[in-house]
Amino acid sequence: MLIGTLKQGPIPKHVAFEMDGNRRFAKNHQIETVEGHHLGFEALARVLEICYKCGVKVVTVYAFSIENFNRPRHEVKGLMTMAKVKLEQLVQHGELLDRYGAGIRVSGERDLIPDDVLPFVDRAIEMTKHNKDAILNICFPYTSRAEMTSAIKATVDEYAMPSRPPNPPFSQSRITQKIRSNQSKNSDLPSIREASPDDAAKSDDVDDSVSSTTALDPDSPPLPSTPSRSANFKNPETITAETINSHMYTAEFPPLDIFIRTSGVMRLSDFMLWQCHENTHIFFLDCLWPEFDLGNFVPVLLEWQWRQKKLMEKDGAARK
Amino acid sequence: MSFSARDTKAYRDDEQSGHRKLGVQQREELVKNYLPAAPNRARSNSRNRKDTGHFGLRKFLKSQLYVFLYFFVHAVFSIYLRIRVAYRVVANQILSILKYHHNTPDYIRRDVSTLSRLPRHVSVILTLEEGGRGVDVLEKLINEVTEVAAWCASAGIPRLSIYEKTGILKKYMPQTHRALSRKLKTWFARHQGPVLSLSTRGETAIQTPSRDHFAQDQQTLEVILISEDDGREAMVDLTRVLAEMAQKGRISASDITLDVIDNELAEAVMPEPNLLISFEPYVDLQGYPPWQIRLTEIYCSPDNQGVGYQVFLRALRKYAQATFKLGK
Repeated sequence: MLIGTLKQGPIPKHVAFEMDGNRRFAKNHQIETVEGHHLGFEALARVLEICYKCGVKVVTVYAFSIENFNRPRHEVKGLMTMAKVKLEQLVQHGELLDRYGAGIRVSGERDLIPDDVLPFVDRAIEMTKHNKDAILNICFPYTSRAEMTSAIKATVDEYAMPSRPPNPPFSQSRITQKIRSNQSKNSDLPSIREASPDDAAKSDDVDDSVSSTTALDPDSPPLPSTPSRSANFKNPETITAETINSHMYTAEFPPLDIFIRTSGVMRLSDFMLWQCHENTHIFFLDCLWPEFDLGNFVPVLLEWQWRQKKLMEKDGAARK
Repeated sequence: MSFSARDTKAYRDDEQSGHRKLGVQQREELVKNYLPAAPNRARSNSRNRKDTGHFGLRKFLKSQLYVFLYFFVHAVFSIYLRIRVAYRVVANQILSILKYHHNTPDYIRRDVSTLSRLPRHVSVILTLEEGGRGVDVLEKLINEVTEVAAWCASAGIPRLSIYEKTGILKKYMPQTHRALSRKLKTWFARHQGPVLSLSTRGETAIQTPSRDHFAQDQQTLEVILISEDDGREAMVDLTRVLAEMAQKGRISASDITLDVIDNELAEAVMPEPNLLISFEPYVDLQGYPPWQIRLTEIYCSPDNQGVGYQVFLRALRKYAQATFKLGK
């Protein structure tokens, strides 16, 4: 009922949760830490249900930070086992997931996932790859700085690869050679003289087309000094925020609308730094994650809708 | 909506027994009641009004009810928000009258003396007011900058970075510097004032020459101006440089590590701030540098509008209470 009501307004496309407070909850209720995490998982299930009923496209959750490996070993182990079991169960319910178009993505450092969990992760991703209606993006061994580093690295990699001319499989020298050999077969020398300036012009062409783009930039050195080797690279000046963004884990998702952190801590703690830098509404809630429920989430949504409306009014006024 | 007690219990029992109790089938039975309607039905709610008949009419009424409820809820919520805003404004006003700093560093020093720790680096987000163009707006902004700088100097915070989206202050560095020194001079007596330096990425810092060279323990205040260009754009620039170096074969992509980037951004733009204060009614980073904000404590006084000493002080208090555990 309430959700049907909320649906009448704008709905965020991408929501991120930092699930903080499981251990404090466990401590307050005098239960085991791992038990707290289990309750946290239940809260996550609740939240996911609400989100997808509302029509949120992507939910990103911070499940495990790279820094979390510093925690007591049995806790890390408990968390890993939990991840394994949950993913295993999920895989068993593949058909249900398909029916709702639910997809799982895992963002993070793959190398750091323990070997016994990795196959389950891979299978879950593989099975739900085609589902795009409701995506759960799990950040698992993740820190935002590591993500940004790898994105920068990938960008550099992309630009450090010599980019081939548009038709890579065909080699110009081979073609000219072939022509030459054909010509030499057909007749004797005369036409070769004609062919060679031709082929020189061709190779000039290649150089020109690439270096002319560099020549357009006032900063870049004048033409003669650019060695022909670097002409094969993409111009680094063409790197933009978009380029880096395309190497982020979240590249395929819509921009982040709401960021929620529970347990009253007012930090981002290395989560979604790149993504939430603009137009993201950040909420810090006082409740601990296992307590997080509809009652906490609806005010957030309402406030977001309200602000969205205000912004739209402002935009409308500005346009007039 | 929420799970029934019986099902929750069944789930937890299964959890405890190491997931041996329930088979795949049983588990599917368990969740079945909570799953939304299958997508083909779910998608055709309110929009699909074409099919007439009893069912269509009911759907239509239902969606009308939802629309009505939506506006109703929003109306109520809007009233609630307005009351909240009004209440907080009044409370703020009263507090600021009671605890006015009277432009004297001593009052501020007394205010912060009870705090268990102070941030080494404070960052504030200031906004250039829209609409009113020209000198007035800029003057107001510079005035806010000087105010905040004076508070920081009094509280003994050595580094202050000021984020302003458009970067207009960067064009008026000398003017800003002059205004800052004037302000500090009026707040502090001539010789007690901190040594001021104003810097921004890619420009040489403007330093106030230290007047008495013998004063070793003299406080310093480093003000850094940052703008949208220092956020994602700076990282893009860095990537460009790295890409160029990689192309020339001087580095390989595997040499690029977190430390390298961190070091470079900290040197070129600024190190990580400890505390970020936003004077806006809600947290919106407006393009604030993403790399640096990792562990920054973010303080934003809800529904607050405008720069005020109360917000500053509360942010410092909040910072003193916060605990840092870095993933542990």
